[in-house]
Amino acid sequence: MSPIGSVYPTAHSATLGRVDAPLPKGLSGLLAPDQTGTAAGPEGFGRMLDGLVATVDAKEAQATELTRKVLLGDSDQIHQSVIAMQEASVAFSLMVEVRNKLVESYQELMRMQV
Amino acid sequence: MNLISGIDVTAGALAAQKMRLDIVAQNIANAQATRTPEGGPYKRQIVSFETELVKRAGGTSLPTVHVAGITSDRTPGEQVYNPQHPDAGADGLVQMPNVNLSYEMVDLITASRSYEANLSVVKNARTLALKALEIGK
Repeated sequence: MSPIGSVYPTAHSATLGRVDAPLPKGLSGLLAPDQTGTAAGPEGFGRMLDGLVATVDAKEAQATELTRKVLLGDSDQIHQSVIAMQEASVAFSLMVEVRNKLVESYQELMRMQV
Repeated sequence: MNLISGIDVTAGALAAQKMRLDIVAQNIANAQATRTPEGGPYKRQIVSFETELVKRAGGTSLPTVHVAGITSDRTPGEQVYNPQHPDAGADGLVQMPNVNLSYEMVDLITASRSYEANLSVVKNARTLALKALEIGK
């Protein structure tokens, strides 16, 4: 259940009223690993971050390859190379944003009174 | 996966306009060429575009553009009286290419303006993506 109700405008109003209602389709991937049945163990978070870094790294590698081709004269599509670089940059910003959010949540948990 | 939406469409348009610029450059460069491998004077080349569907993440398709073909302009070029020219006929007339520099300059300006317009779209899409990342701040 999202605290910000309007971010899932597709959810039925009936679903919105019940805390234990099943999540709308597509959101099940956001559940904790033990709830979805695919027990990931303690390394679940690390693996997720690893996947994120790998995706961003692939984008960076693609941008580097296109730039190399332009610099070597194999291609004259300068815009392709610059667009790939911009895409890699946006992906990197998104990754940093996700990491900031995760660290923030962790610190919030650590501050919790037991 | 594409983080910046619509960028594939714009990239196709950029490549097409760049091809158009290249062809204009070729026409201007050959404006005085009276001899070609095919024989006869140089023929002005024209680029035509066609729509192509690009598949996006999520299954939707968007139409982008690509170069459909490059064809020769069939209008006859002007004939210049120049008996000293090596390609002059028996009557002393030289068949010149059918390239009109004024047309080519207009084409050049239109193509570069279209290229700039597509670049603005890229810039705007990137700004939007970065602004969306600021939601949580």
